[in-house]
Amino acid sequence: MSTAIETHDLSKRYGRVSALSECTVTVPEGAVCALVGPNGAGKTTLLRLLAGLARPTGGTACVLDGAPRQDPGFLAEIGFLAQEIPLYRRFTAEDHIQIGAHMNPRWDASLVRTRLAELRIPLDQRVGTLSGGQRAQVALALTLAKRPRLLLLDEPVAALDPLARRHFLATLTAAVAEAAGGLTVVLSSHLVIDLERVCDHLILLAASRVQLCGDIDTLLAQHKVLVGPRKDTAPIERTHEVVQTVTTARQSTLLVRLNGPVIDPAYQTEDVTFEELVLAYMGADEAAAGRHLTTVGEHS
Amino acid sequence: MISFRVDGRSGEPPYLQIVRQVRQALRMGVLDVGDQLPSVREVVAAVAINPNTVLKAYRDLEREGLVEARAGQGTFVRARPPGPPPGTHSRLGRSLARWVREAREAGLDEESMESLLRITLQADRESEEIA
Amino acid sequence: MTWLVWREYRAQGAIAFALLAAFAAVILVDGFAIASHWHSILLTCKGNSACLHQQQLLAIGLLSDLPYVSLIVPAIVGLLWGAPLVAHELESRTTDFAWAQSVTRTRWLVVKAGWLLLAAAACGGAVAALVTWWSGPSNAMQANAFGPVQFDAQGIVPVGYAVFAMALGIAAGTVARRTLPAIAVVLGGFIGLRLVISDFLRPHYIPAVTAYYKLTGSFTPPGQAWYLSQGAISKTGVVLPQGLGSLGLGNVLPASCQKLLPTGVLVKASSMNAVYSCMQAHGWRGFTAYQPGGRYWTFQGIETGIYVLLAAALIAVTFAIVRRRDA
Repeated sequence: MSTAIETHDLSKRYGRVSALSECTVTVPEGAVCALVGPNGAGKTTLLRLLAGLARPTGGTACVLDGAPRQDPGFLAEIGFLAQEIPLYRRFTAEDHIQIGAHMNPRWDASLVRTRLAELRIPLDQRVGTLSGGQRAQVALALTLAKRPRLLLLDEPVAALDPLARRHFLATLTAAVAEAAGGLTVVLSSHLVIDLERVCDHLILLAASRVQLCGDIDTLLAQHKVLVGPRKDTAPIERTHEVVQTVTTARQSTLLVRLNGPVIDPAYQTEDVTFEELVLAYMGADEAAAGRHLTTVGEHS
Repeated sequence: MISFRVDGRSGEPPYLQIVRQVRQALRMGVLDVGDQLPSVREVVAAVAINPNTVLKAYRDLEREGLVEARAGQGTFVRARPPGPPPGTHSRLGRSLARWVREAREAGLDEESMESLLRITLQADRESEEIA
Repeated sequence: MTWLVWREYRAQGAIAFALLAAFAAVILVDGFAIASHWHSILLTCKGNSACLHQQQLLAIGLLSDLPYVSLIVPAIVGLLWGAPLVAHELESRTTDFAWAQSVTRTRWLVVKAGWLLLAAAACGGAVAALVTWWSGPSNAMQANAFGPVQFDAQGIVPVGYAVFAMALGIAAGTVARRTLPAIAVVLGGFIGLRLVISDFLRPHYIPAVTAYYKLTGSFTPPGQAWYLSQGAISKTGVVLPQGLGSLGLGNVLPASCQKLLPTGVLVKASSMNAVYSCMQAHGWRGFTAYQPGGRYWTFQGIETGIYVLLAAALIAVTFAIVRRRDA
């Protein structure tokens, strides 16, 4: 399997602020990859670096067999959709189709027209007067019409109502299905439920660093929740990587990344849900050594 | 044509939900031998899930011998899952509904009904093993 | 890519074309009216040069403000089209769309800026051509070929100004990333630079011709010359600029001439004659430094070249920024 994206220690500074530090990730070709993290964690920065819209201040990125560069061949393979849904507000959807036809070597105008007709979005209305959901669909259709090999989507469903979101994700997954492995998607979003349905890969950023990167099923299999009486957790910590600990007066709940089997019979082992995993790692920047200690209902 | 529902919060992996729904459709007679299953694209366009999920489900069904993939044409139903013919389910379902009504009138709540069913299934299993 | 430029600017282009056409109509009608008036004056005042002169002055008096359009057009072009070219796209984030297509940023800028610079040159050139044609009679009456209306508003320099203003707008918009500050820079920068170049550089494009003559006489340069400086110069090179009258002459002159200076502040020119004769006897000469009218087109060429070079430098800076900057 070939990789669509491979970065090594990729970083970006704006003056003294570090937007992204030492980011090392791999995304295989054909994956639908979720990009998750708190606001300001570097998701937009990473996507823009991969698209070639920003230059890194350190590290390397290999996107579709080369560094992001100002080259028509490379640009034709990448589809980038920015958070603000950038379109020319005075122009109609049909205008945008014409613009795309003139600015791209591979252009599937009929794809846009068919999709928008299915969604009953008028082609001859100024894009600025369409609803947010309709604009997002137009922008996605235009991005897909390029027939790119890699789609980079920056919170495309953030401003959409649930129905519009469903339509958007359906259009996206249908495009992935049609491409039969030829289309890779990196999609940043806060909506964990949507991501779980649609994605099979995960990159999690927190504090401008990569906390998790990999196949979702594998990651879920590698993590477990250990529930047991409150006691010294040092033996567990010696063997496994504890991501999050929640203690009450009587009980300890640990989310661990396993390094072998759990021997201690005092602990009950449970599967981790995708949402639990994401939340635990997103909170990982708040304490030293990647451990977040929450004390609930403690009597002093 | 069958339409699928995927519940993200049910705890059951999505691909297993699809497998189960295909089997159910075959048992209820909604799908018959020779019918075509919707294409991967059609399924995800309706349900917005990862295409690999559907592919995994169809592969599982193929391994079970329930469906077969014909190159260039799609996935077609090959056989029904072992069990009673369609119609049996609806018939038994109706008599079960009658029992439930009777049990409720007798004063049983849902939990009691469920534990009664569980005990009966267990007893039946044990007697099958002995036999 | 050209199609995109056309689609973005076709409405503005139509308006500009309409305005140009209206301006052309006005200036052509007026120009032909002046021309026919001119001919009738020549017939009426045949042989009478005073009548001729007076009538001609009256004829060109009307609508004499038209050439100022030629002075304003370059600035407007830079403000309205140059400043927003890159800045508006950056402001409204449509660069995220344009630069995500398969066209490199370099090509995007080449096509956009290229067409607009051409349009600027065409606007400047069209207005200049019309004003130059219309000013034919007026130019003939001028004593100085290098005055603001004669030089800045006619010939080929308006093309240079327009191209420069456009380039300044584009560069300012690219650096500022917002349209309004870019407009301010264009206004200030364009006006400032025009003043600096016309007042301080233009007199020196070619070293001035200096003519020496007797102080007691006078000298008129041939043609429509541009007077740069006049005065008296001694054998040793001491310069007395003209117009000081008797004040200030005191210390520089030889003693014998100083005695001849009239007293009082208001001095009649004739009473200075004795002083001049004395100075002349001591080796003083009169001088006039001027640019001959015949150098008009050379100067036009040089000044246009300067502005075009400045425009090229600004465009080069714009390219460098667009290619390297984060979107």
